[in-house]
Amino acid sequence: MSKETFSQISPSEFFYRNRDLAGFSNPTRSLYTSVREFVENALDACDQKKILPDIHMSIKAVDPEQSDPKHYVLTVKDNGPGIEPKHVPHAFGTVLYGSKFGLKQARGMFGLGATMAILYGQITTNKPVTVKSCADEKTIDEFVMLLDIQKNKPVILKHNTKEASKTGLSVSIVLEGDYSKAGSKIRDYVSQTSLITPYASMTFEDPSGEKFHYPRIVKEMPPPPTIIKPHPHGVDVETIRRMIVDTHYQIPAVDNKMIDKAKKELGLQKKTLTTKDILERAQKRWTDLSRPVRTILAVMSFLNVDFDGLQKIRIDDIDVANKKITYWDFGESQSHAVELDSESPYYKQLANTIQGDTLLTFLTKRFQRVGPTTAEKFCEFAKLKPERRIGSMTNEELVRLADALQKFDDFLAPDPSCLAPLGEEPLSKGIMKFFNPEFASVMQRSASAYSGFPFVVELGIAYGGDIPTAGLKVYRFANRIPLLYDEGSDVVLKIVNEMDWSRYKVKGDPPLVIVSHICSTRIPYKTVGKENVADRPELERELKNALQYLARKLAVHMSRKGAADMEKKRANLYAKYVPLISQFATELSGKKKEPNYKQLIKIGSEIEEQV
Amino acid sequence: MKNKSSQRTAEAKKEKLLSLLQKHGLNIYDNLDQGKFPQFVIPSRSVNNIVYDKKLRQYILGNANAVRSSRNMSQLRSYTQLAWLAFFVNRLIREGKSSTLRDIYYSSQAFSIDFEDQPESDNIIVDLEAVTLSPREEFHIFPEERSSVFGDLTIEYTVPGYEGKRMNLSDHPDGYLIGPSLSSAELVDTSAELVIAIEKGGLFTRFVEEKVHKKFKSIIVDTAGQAPRSTRNLLRRLNQEMGLPVVILADGDVYGEHIAMVIKSGSANAAHLRELTVPDAKWLGVWATDIEKYKLPTIPMTESDIKRIYDLQKDPRYQEGNWKKQLEVFLKLKRKAELEAFSKYGLTNITDKYLPAKLEESKSF
Repeated sequence: MSKETFSQISPSEFFYRNRDLAGFSNPTRSLYTSVREFVENALDACDQKKILPDIHMSIKAVDPEQSDPKHYVLTVKDNGPGIEPKHVPHAFGTVLYGSKFGLKQARGMFGLGATMAILYGQITTNKPVTVKSCADEKTIDEFVMLLDIQKNKPVILKHNTKEASKTGLSVSIVLEGDYSKAGSKIRDYVSQTSLITPYASMTFEDPSGEKFHYPRIVKEMPPPPTIIKPHPHGVDVETIRRMIVDTHYQIPAVDNKMIDKAKKELGLQKKTLTTKDILERAQKRWTDLSRPVRTILAVMSFLNVDFDGLQKIRIDDIDVANKKITYWDFGESQSHAVELDSESPYYKQLANTIQGDTLLTFLTKRFQRVGPTTAEKFCEFAKLKPERRIGSMTNEELVRLADALQKFDDFLAPDPSCLAPLGEEPLSKGIMKFFNPEFASVMQRSASAYSGFPFVVELGIAYGGDIPTAGLKVYRFANRIPLLYDEGSDVVLKIVNEMDWSRYKVKGDPPLVIVSHICSTRIPYKTVGKENVADRPELERELKNALQYLARKLAVHMSRKGAADMEKKRANLYAKYVPLISQFATELSGKKKEPNYKQLIKIGSEIEEQV
Repeated sequence: MKNKSSQRTAEAKKEKLLSLLQKHGLNIYDNLDQGKFPQFVIPSRSVNNIVYDKKLRQYILGNANAVRSSRNMSQLRSYTQLAWLAFFVNRLIREGKSSTLRDIYYSSQAFSIDFEDQPESDNIIVDLEAVTLSPREEFHIFPEERSSVFGDLTIEYTVPGYEGKRMNLSDHPDGYLIGPSLSSAELVDTSAELVIAIEKGGLFTRFVEEKVHKKFKSIIVDTAGQAPRSTRNLLRRLNQEMGLPVVILADGDVYGEHIAMVIKSGSANAAHLRELTVPDAKWLGVWATDIEKYKLPTIPMTESDIKRIYDLQKDPRYQEGNWKKQLEVFLKLKRKAELEAFSKYGLTNITDKYLPAKLEESKSF
């Protein structure tokens, strides 16, 4: 029998093995994904600090003579807040290091992509990443690093510091790519990003040296999203379990700092008292003590040790249900278990701490838009006691809780303050600048939610002008990212195609553009590729309402245009035919001079209704 | 047998039409000058407006009129086309030139009047016929189909280059095409006492060979199937101007019967026109009753033949007399006989036996 070996792999190694999932399946897609990741990180960083983004990116072939796929240098530079030098190696040299773990709308999630791009570059070319960062407007730090894939650690090859005056970040990697194939998508990506980010200025220099510049169209930034608590509909059992662990009052680590804190609260800085004296003193001041200190004192009472003794042990588990404390004695190098006396006044304190909040408190404190009344109603609905301590709930009860959270209908709709739609005015300006249409209209729907995730739909419509008469085209965006692939199966396209456009006076292959922007804390993507949005009924309804509203506006425009066109057509017809009639009548009647028919052309073109 | 009063009829007709066209031209001119939208009033040719006039013994248009106005944007184009046609016809007549339906379609393009196809221009021609109550032949516009005439008839050309030149129509045994020059010619003189219209070119040649024109003192006209308007007009003029009776020989079927009827009293399609009918013309045969009487070889009728009989039975002209009776017999027989069927009894049987017998019989109609 062969022996299986189990070994732990680092996150970097895991991503290295599964790079297809993250969009690094081939040189074409990898180049495109790398551009996206860096640009989106740069925009997110600027958004967070309310800096009007100024993004420069370039792709240069290492050896232009070679044929694709070949090595390219990809550089993306922003004017964002930069990253403090001490965080740079970890931010770019470790997988799963990031600040995007809160619940709010952002372009990328978790910041995995940028590291993946660096990882991909390193794998394909064995070249390091160069990061230049200035976070304090004084100095700029340059790091040249490699990733140690097995250890998930950065290896700094070079680090220097220079003077600087502006904050910003520049990342440069060498990677294998295929620009001849990825080029059109990358150019589309940059141009469409400029449409949905009209407050950004973007420049892209392609391998041939051609520059694409998209100037800033609006100077105001849309309000940034805030980090919020989850909505009850948006959590599953696993999330609840994790939330409960957070809620558990952590058993404080007993270190010097904590002991100093306890002594200070008890007014014992200078004195050394016995355990008994300490506890007596504590009794008098109990209500003034902080919770960690109370917990430590409770533990002291059960173990009957003083501060010195407490420092020699490590508390491993407090099992309230079985009334046991398990601890590790460093001196003896062995584990001990002590019975808890449920009669002791400290027992309740410890039990409450360990068992966490009551269900009622948990609901109101940890979820958005849940008040005591709703919480109580919910408890009744879930058949759980409101005063039940969540730390003591059994597995079955947790499942019941999670289930009930999904099914209870009386929760308020999710709080949309975590969303950052672009806003009607910037979107409208972006569309006008981008398409230069003869007609455009935009609409932002008020926030809605699917499965507890809030979302906002913004829709724009543009007709005529510089738009080619080549049929309807849909520009899709989600959380300010252009979606370029898998258009066919997208919910927006479905809604657009279901419309009876002839009812809105749109015929044939109209010069018509629709811009859709879906903002959500979680976009319901259909696939891992994150390029097409699934057809959730709530989402469909919002899109449909917005589209119909805009289409009606377009129809009004079309009829006005139709009337003007008709007048023009009339004028043309009369200008063409009346002189002919005059010519024929003159010869037919045997006259020499033509009649004065000019007035008739004028009258003819002004007739409004047909006879 | 020359009818003096009808001399120079063609010339008079031409002058009348030209003055009518000029009147229309002046009307349009004045409207334009006064800032008014000119319009044409066209007798409606819809089915509802076609009625049979028992007195005139032909179909005529009722009183309904359609107005084609240059004020109406959707009619402006066809109004202009009609004005152009009037203008163009005026030129044709004045310059003595003739043209075909197809010519008109192409000629329009020189004046930025675009007809989408020939049916559109043909339609405008019929509109002008209705407005002026004159057949297109008077506009010097001719269809492609031609029929011919043979016999002792002297004509005098009016077409340019031949003005005053005379011609006898018995000089060429194949007959003379009834074309623009013959249609516009003056009928001067004839010794004939009868006009025989015959449906088929083959029989026409037989009749010339057998000297029917001499034996029966007749002018022979080949109608080449359903008689074209110019032929019907010539038959009418021979009847009215020269005082010759007209008899008709056609196949022994429902179509043959109707060919005779159209010569006699016109078609619904030409209800807006006069002077295309010969109300006193006589249908000699071949009747349905002749088929049995002369024991002619027959062929069975097709379904469309039978349908045609039912259609004609609704026509007011087939409601009485021999016309009605023959339809009923055809329907009973469900068989038909062509003129050539007489050849069973010898090639000259039709001229030697049938024709004299029927002519004799026709005196009692």
